[in-house]
Amino acid sequence: MTDPRTEALEAAHRGLARTWIDFESGLATVPLIGRLLGGRLRLEDYRRLLLNLRQQVVEGSRWIARAASSLDAAHAELRSLFLRHAVAEHRDYLLLEQNYVAAGGDPALTATTPKNVGSEALSAWMFHAAGQPNPTGLLGAMFVIEGLGERLAAPWAEAAQRQLGLPDEAFTFLRYHGANDGDHLDMFDRALALAVATREAAEDVVRHARVTARLYRLQLEEIDHG
Amino acid sequence: MRPVFLTATGSHLPGPPVPSDAIEDHIGRLSPEASRRGRYMLRKNGIRTRHYAMDAQGRTEWTVARLGAAAAGDLFRRAEIGTERVSFLATATTQNDMMVPGLASGVHAALGLPPLEIASFQSVCASAMMALKAAWLQVGSGGHEAGLAVGAEFSSRYFRPGFYEGTDAVAADGTLAPDAEFLRWTLSDGAGAALLESRPAARGPSLRVEWISLRSYADRFPPCMTAGAAGGAPWSHFPSAGEAARAGAFMLRQDLPTLHAMLPVWIAELMRLIDEGLVAADEVDWFLCHYSAHSLREEMVRLATRAGCMIPEERWFTNLYEKGNVGAASLYLLLDDLMRSGRLEPGQTVLAAVPESGQCLIGFARFTVVEARHD
Repeated sequence: MTDPRTEALEAAHRGLARTWIDFESGLATVPLIGRLLGGRLRLEDYRRLLLNLRQQVVEGSRWIARAASSLDAAHAELRSLFLRHAVAEHRDYLLLEQNYVAAGGDPALTATTPKNVGSEALSAWMFHAAGQPNPTGLLGAMFVIEGLGERLAAPWAEAAQRQLGLPDEAFTFLRYHGANDGDHLDMFDRALALAVATREAAEDVVRHARVTARLYRLQLEEIDHG
Repeated sequence: MRPVFLTATGSHLPGPPVPSDAIEDHIGRLSPEASRRGRYMLRKNGIRTRHYAMDAQGRTEWTVARLGAAAAGDLFRRAEIGTERVSFLATATTQNDMMVPGLASGVHAALGLPPLEIASFQSVCASAMMALKAAWLQVGSGGHEAGLAVGAEFSSRYFRPGFYEGTDAVAADGTLAPDAEFLRWTLSDGAGAALLESRPAARGPSLRVEWISLRSYADRFPPCMTAGAAGGAPWSHFPSAGEAARAGAFMLRQDLPTLHAMLPVWIAELMRLIDEGLVAADEVDWFLCHYSAHSLREEMVRLATRAGCMIPEERWFTNLYEKGNVGAASLYLLLDDLMRSGRLEPGQTVLAAVPESGQCLIGFARFTVVEARHD
């Protein structure tokens, strides 16, 4: 008989995998991603993708840092991990800005474009969750966002470059994430094992993943409404 | 719903088992290079023998309806009730003999049964699960005491050179586009049948149906295994049937990259069943998983292991390597071999899985082995 802690961890892995698979397989129905996967991407689509992602990436390391500050001494291991993560990513938006300019985007727009409706919702949710005491459920949110980098960023960069013929300088953000997030996911597995001791903790992590996946999708959907 | 029992099975595989080096005696030769690629496909799919309903000269006594009726005939040689007691017939196939009417009419006629209720299911492999579910619900609801479900395929007839030559899918060296090539070396012919009754058999084990679940993911996948279209246009939208044929609209095709993208979605469906408490990986005694090729099985095992929902490999039950991939018949061929294996023990749990790449769906069925009912 499997012990309850292992069962809870397995349930968390299963719930996260299901959330991810549902999210990833469903992305083909987001208009912009449908055009990317179907070979119908336009240059302005790629520019809008970068511009819209930038606003969320700027916030990314901020909510992780806030989450770290909400973890108490009993979660010191997890806090170290969150802090390292925030440091590693807090200037990533600069890559995005360079890519945007390399794709012919107007540099004046990067700082002045407001978040789209989905980015607003995603950001508000992240900061809300990060402000709760010991927000270990946020590992679910990290799983989804890291998964995008690990599993989708590189194929998206390939597909976009093939269709648009832009130079490599226009794709460093997506490629950097495709190359680096593998280590992050190993680290993630260790963090999950630390954080999930009960069924309730597993459900909390999975719920955070589901909300984040839904709002991330909304952010992508809203790129066409900008 | 009252309990429903699978009490008897039957199968029909036409002709002798055909070894890999004799395949082209049945489906014909396109070119030396096409044959070389075929040998490579065979190494990947792992199938050693299969059956074809057409001989080396392209002659046949069979139709898909007759194959289905032959499997049902085999079933009735072992069933405890005669054909006259069956009042519901559901059939499953990928491509019927005719486009109109449905296969159930053809099997009904070929079996010579008196008037009865029928349902024809046409999809790909998972149509087998649709027919089984229809029979389960029909008997379970009290509408019928005995229902017959039949799955049949005769795909080799589409693989002969005449179906490719003169179309846009053949290259100068006589090879086919990869999406047309794969299925030519993967699919073969045959039929299977299952009898569902409101009571268990008096002799031998029966399988009590616990649940049957089917789910489509066509909302997120394009058509993947197709026939009847070319360049995304239905054959009937071409100016003439001849032009549709020249464009290759009548070929069976498999989009392999899309097929591989479906594997996680299928595994996630098993995870859903586990999360909902319908099944636990460690309580399955027999796992009947229809998969089209050995290489896909390996990929599924890798994924399932990572996700903590792997059913131990020693509990997998397959006949793919000897009987081939027989599409909508495969579920019934697996059930037939399991029922006749002499290895079923009362109380055991059987889980069957039939993924379908057509436009992405998957069906699962759970059974419990029950012992013979002695009146």
